[in-house]
Amino acid sequence: MSPYANVERGILVFSIWGVFGVLGLGFLLEGFARSAYFVSLIGIGLIVVAFVAHIIVNAVFNQGFTNGETALGIGALGVLALMFVLAWAEGGMPEQNFYAGLTFFGVLVAGFIAYLVTRYGLRGAFSRFHVKTLSVAESER
Amino acid sequence: MTGLSHEMWLPLFGFLYAAVTLYWARVAALQNRNTETFFSAGHSLPPWIAVLVLAGSAISGWFLLGGAAEISAHGFGLPALLQGGVALALPGVFFFKRIWFVAQRLRLSSQGELFRSYYHSEFLVVVSAAISVLFAVGFAGLQLRAVSHLISLLTGGTVSPLQAGVVVGFVLFGYVVIGGMRAVGYLGAIQTLLLGAVLIGFAGFALLEVGGFRTLNDALRALAAEDATGARFLVSGVIHFTAGLGRDGGVALTSTSVTSLGLAFALMGFQASPLAAKIVMSTQSANGFGAGQTWVLAGVFGGLIAFGVAVIGAAGIVDPNLSLPGMLARLAEASPWFMGWMTIGLVAGVQLVAGLALLTAGEALVRNLYKPWFHSGLSRADTVNLTRIVIGVLTLGSVLMQFLAPVALSALGSVALPLAFQLWTPLLGTTWLRWITRPAAVTGVGFGIAGVLLTEPLGYQILSFLGLELPWGRWPWTIHSAAWGMAANLAAVLIVSAITNRRSFGEEAVEVQRFLRETLRIGERAHALRSTAWSVVLAWLFFAVGPGLIFGNYAFGAAKGGTWLVGMPSIWAWSLLFWVLGVAMTWFLSYALEMASPYRLEIPPYSPPPRLRRDHSADERERLRILVISGAAAFALIVLTTWSFGR
Repeated sequence: MSPYANVERGILVFSIWGVFGVLGLGFLLEGFARSAYFVSLIGIGLIVVAFVAHIIVNAVFNQGFTNGETALGIGALGVLALMFVLAWAEGGMPEQNFYAGLTFFGVLVAGFIAYLVTRYGLRGAFSRFHVKTLSVAESER
Repeated sequence: MTGLSHEMWLPLFGFLYAAVTLYWARVAALQNRNTETFFSAGHSLPPWIAVLVLAGSAISGWFLLGGAAEISAHGFGLPALLQGGVALALPGVFFFKRIWFVAQRLRLSSQGELFRSYYHSEFLVVVSAAISVLFAVGFAGLQLRAVSHLISLLTGGTVSPLQAGVVVGFVLFGYVVIGGMRAVGYLGAIQTLLLGAVLIGFAGFALLEVGGFRTLNDALRALAAEDATGARFLVSGVIHFTAGLGRDGGVALTSTSVTSLGLAFALMGFQASPLAAKIVMSTQSANGFGAGQTWVLAGVFGGLIAFGVAVIGAAGIVDPNLSLPGMLARLAEASPWFMGWMTIGLVAGVQLVAGLALLTAGEALVRNLYKPWFHSGLSRADTVNLTRIVIGVLTLGSVLMQFLAPVALSALGSVALPLAFQLWTPLLGTTWLRWITRPAAVTGVGFGIAGVLLTEPLGYQILSFLGLELPWGRWPWTIHSAAWGMAANLAAVLIVSAITNRRSFGEEAVEVQRFLRETLRIGERAHALRSTAWSVVLAWLFFAVGPGLIFGNYAFGAAKGGTWLVGMPSIWAWSLLFWVLGVAMTWFLSYALEMASPYRLEIPPYSPPPRLRRDHSADERERLRILVISGAAAFALIVLTTWSFGR
């Protein structure tokens, strides 16, 4: 991909996450602060919209997630998951927030699997994680 | 929510935003590779980015900061505000495609170069440069000042307005001088989308706070029924023959339909300004202008203004605490993350126009004035570096004026749009009306400037300072300065064009006329629709922003104490109706009349006949000497005048 197309894709990705992603995160936080499941759900919906829009942009520019995006996404997911687990372990988390958190992580995991399946197919998605040993690789050769 | 977490969100979003701007400035600088593409991004900005930047810079923070506040304070008496999207889009429909073609043919990079090539007029080059400086220092400075005060308010005074202004100005300066036009374009696209989202966010929050759209209109209906506030839902007449604001012993009414018409004219100034020309000339293709002007600016942003800004303003009418700062203060308590995001969105909108204006002004002063007059041997690298210094000086000047001379800043900012509207006549001459001669364009702009300045505080305060009291104030007869200026401008253009030689154009102008005539000749169908188009435009101007607004007072129900047929004030419903018709009209002009329709053509550069290059260094040194002496004399004269006449 030409550097110009790469930049155009980058601008779109920044815009998408700057608008839908941040807005979604805001609603998610709002839902947690007010213990309102429905508000959290709006936030989750907006983050899913951002994710889908990002995938559409990737498709338009015939590209997957960059290494930086993957690292940032997985890192952010890890931090959020850690915070959720710590908050839950500390106790006193309202039931609404607990379910909102579960929904959030459930949707993200489901979305991630759906993305892999639609991009690489069922077998290909599995192969992304299945690391072949040297002996098997050699025998296939 | 602890106090700490409440206060951390705005700085957090601020740091994120600053990081994003610097990241894109770096990307732009890397793509620029050298100083050759600093000013115009190598004329390679993708059309969709140009479209977004054109729309975002036209809207900027002005409608959120100024438009909503105007509706909150004075009601719906200036419906031209609500037609902002269409009014801002129309000039682009008329000019952009043709300006881009001319710029490609002559390999031009700025409006000043266009005027110099076509009219051989240094006066028009100076006017274009002055207008870009007014936008950079005055127009954008006013918005930056408002944003700085807002940040100070939201941090509870922890950050002073001056500190906020310095930080915002520093980030702005940083990305403009690092990445040039490419950074302004790349970031502008992100800033525009953020601004649009924030506009929706403010409107949504306003509706939530007042209890929904129906509750809002119920409250408006109650206010409309009262004598004291009923006038806020009416255009007060076609014209009032007053001496203008600040005269006649009181404040004259400014909610007449001719004021609206004049305001629409002023808004039409933005896309005739050097700022818009800068984006147009930095774009790789003219094929996005039609869609951009029709769907992005007139359609999406026009709708956001006609509905969103109106909702925010109406919420302010119902509850004065729901002004923009009031809303953000409430958000800071209830949802600080939204407050942080929306404030940064607003800052992004303001920085968008400020960055573009600074770059345009820097280029105009250095590349269009200093270099050709005083130092033609300046290398490209030195030109860029000098422009960076000038941008720094302009930013510093703007920040200082925001806090040391806010009245002067306001006076300068208020003339930027009306003065830019005066550039319509030379642009029409370049793109459509070949009979506008060089003397006519120059005289017209001169008269137009005089018309604007004599009906704005800047002009009559200067004259008053010198002891000459004008018998009128701001906007006499409730006619906006943009309209006064254009009346003088048009009269001069028509008269001078009639009495001057229409064949006395230079080689470049003749080439431009030939090139446009041969390449952009409209089809037979479009030709047959021309009279219809004129009728449609005049009818829209008459009913949407002109004298016909009077019908809007009662078209959808009685303004005071009666039934509102569509559940909202009649004049607001009228404005929404004409926004929809305005989008249709923009589409009609862009596509059916082929004014901004896509057109694919490889444009070879024009090769002027070879001329002998003289060594101008002696002349330039002499000019520089005269400039220094004149500057010193002018400074001394100003000091002397201040001592003699100043109060």
